[in-house]
Amino acid sequence: MSGDVILDVREMMVSFSARRAGRKYRVQAVDGVSLSLAQGEVLGIVGESGCGKTTVGRTIVGLVQPGSGTIKFKGTEMIGAGSSSLRAMRLNVRMVFQDPNASLNPRRTIGDSVAEAGDISGFFKSRAERSAAIAATLTGVGLNPSFATRYPYELSGGQRQRVGIARAILPTPSIVIADEPVSALDVSVQAQVLNLMMDLRDQLRLSMLFISHDLGVIGQISSRVAVMYMGRVVEQAGTRTVLEHPLHPYTRALVAAIPKPDPSKRILGAIETGEPPSLFTRPHGCAYAPRCPIASDRCLVDVPTLRSVGTDGRTIACHNV
Amino acid sequence: MLSVRDLTVSVGPETAPVDIVAGVSFDLAKGEILGLVGESGCGKSMTSLAVMGLLPQPGPRVRAGRVLLEGSDVTQLQPWQRVEAGHGRMAMIFQEPMTSLNPVRRIGDQIAEAVRVHEGISGAAALSRARELLELVRMPDPGMQLSAYPHQLSGGQRQRVMIAIALACRPQVLVADEPTTALDVTIQVQILGLLRELCNRLDMAVLFITHDMGVIAQLADRVSVMYAGRIVETAAVDALFGEPRHHYTRGLMDCMPSRNSGVRRLPTISGQPPVPGTVAAGCVFALRCAAVHDECRVAAPPRLEASQGHEVLCAFPLAGGELP
Repeated sequence: MSGDVILDVREMMVSFSARRAGRKYRVQAVDGVSLSLAQGEVLGIVGESGCGKTTVGRTIVGLVQPGSGTIKFKGTEMIGAGSSSLRAMRLNVRMVFQDPNASLNPRRTIGDSVAEAGDISGFFKSRAERSAAIAATLTGVGLNPSFATRYPYELSGGQRQRVGIARAILPTPSIVIADEPVSALDVSVQAQVLNLMMDLRDQLRLSMLFISHDLGVIGQISSRVAVMYMGRVVEQAGTRTVLEHPLHPYTRALVAAIPKPDPSKRILGAIETGEPPSLFTRPHGCAYAPRCPIASDRCLVDVPTLRSVGTDGRTIACHNV
Repeated sequence: MLSVRDLTVSVGPETAPVDIVAGVSFDLAKGEILGLVGESGCGKSMTSLAVMGLLPQPGPRVRAGRVLLEGSDVTQLQPWQRVEAGHGRMAMIFQEPMTSLNPVRRIGDQIAEAVRVHEGISGAAALSRARELLELVRMPDPGMQLSAYPHQLSGGQRQRVMIAIALACRPQVLVADEPTTALDVTIQVQILGLLRELCNRLDMAVLFITHDMGVIAQLADRVSVMYAGRIVETAAVDALFGEPRHHYTRGLMDCMPSRNSGVRRLPTISGQPPVPGTVAAGCVFALRCAAVHDECRVAAPPRLEASQGHEVLCAFPLAGGELP
């Protein structure tokens, strides 16, 4: 796999300053995350709100500055790169946002929004080429090319998210960071958009970082999953391995808490999941220890690091598994 | 306990009303959780607001139909009129507790306020009842939390506070509109468990509104599926998931990723729901239905009883026993 690694993130650290009750705090949103993505691979990142999964995505596309760490695109370091080489790389690393209503400019036509990255980079040689590229991209995401002259308010939520995807794949990117791209959509539309993303993955050989809180959705589209908890990856393995045999106690709770659409498999009252942590008072030792059913004394003092376990490239950060 | 009959909620001018809820009927018994499931815009939230007498004004209005609480017609009564008339024992919880709670008041005072309105007690007695309510919703450390502000609580704890406020009127009927949608799955499972426990313990009737079929399967006793302002199928939860009869219900289940582990492509329902007021005749689902007949486009579908307690609004329903 190492031969065709297209994105390599090492020891990413991101912190924000925040103010609570008159005191200044430093919140460590991402605490030493390392990930790698191969050409054509979809890596899912799953975790609860506040676990840092969105910050990882935003840092990779350059919307957030990391405190330390490296982000290499095809072997070239992105952090601190010169503006021209950074611009070229950014054209290859693109983002799809959760809420297409918020991410599309209501006063620009769909065509202008879709072509924006190409316009900025001077990709289009002529107006005709630009229109043709817009039309082809819209068709590629299942929209009528005539949508190019329309405005976002004229579209449904599912159509807007198709536009959100279209603007992330023109000009052809190598990596798409998709941050909860189907969470705002109804299930019937969600399935349509997921199918589209799987088609694009196959047709364009796209690599994707697919960020979601929904393990069902992640299980559908990604081949590997990284589970994040309080800024750290606690388990990473093939998707089926994680869903069918979760090892880390947090992953187990997460998988067990998915509401299964089967009334004969009721879980209410049967599982214990604990209170989520406060980002301001990070526990010593393992961040999951206060909620963990198998925590031992060691977990309260000693932060577990990722180690390889079993097959399928599984890594896990837990003392007691 | 609660009977809703042919409820029709309309917007637009009196002369040309557009029905966003069209002839919805259901019954809700003591100690029962009825799940009302559908996609955004199907009218499920409007139904719940109309049942509560909380439709925004000016705006949508109940054009026809009745809401009966223990046999008394409360359809046209405002919430305060209901309290005065002695029908005040209905409460509602919403999706986002942060927007429902007052950010600058301590939660103990906010719960005590509801206690004062409904029980006529105040001061220390109301606060002590507030503490009881926090214990009832299994808030950790209830005595301490009385003096907390909403921003000091987690999302799950805030929803517990909302439930405590709702329980202040000792409700016979609790309407819950997507109360766990904004929560993480690990917290969702706790709140759903709490609602089930409270329903059993207090013998409440719960109308639970959601878009999530998984949540419905976990929580509800019976389920009504809504589409374009109509209830298209109602059944006991086992029957609905075991033998869905409406093509829309079946489609909703088929396109859930968690029911499709390992398949290459997800089944989808083509198209989108109709814009309210645009379906003139025939079945509202005809445009998207894979099994559509010519008749469906012209004649309104009949409400058939597929089996005891299993109703479907379709002229050509799925046969029973189709799903494993």
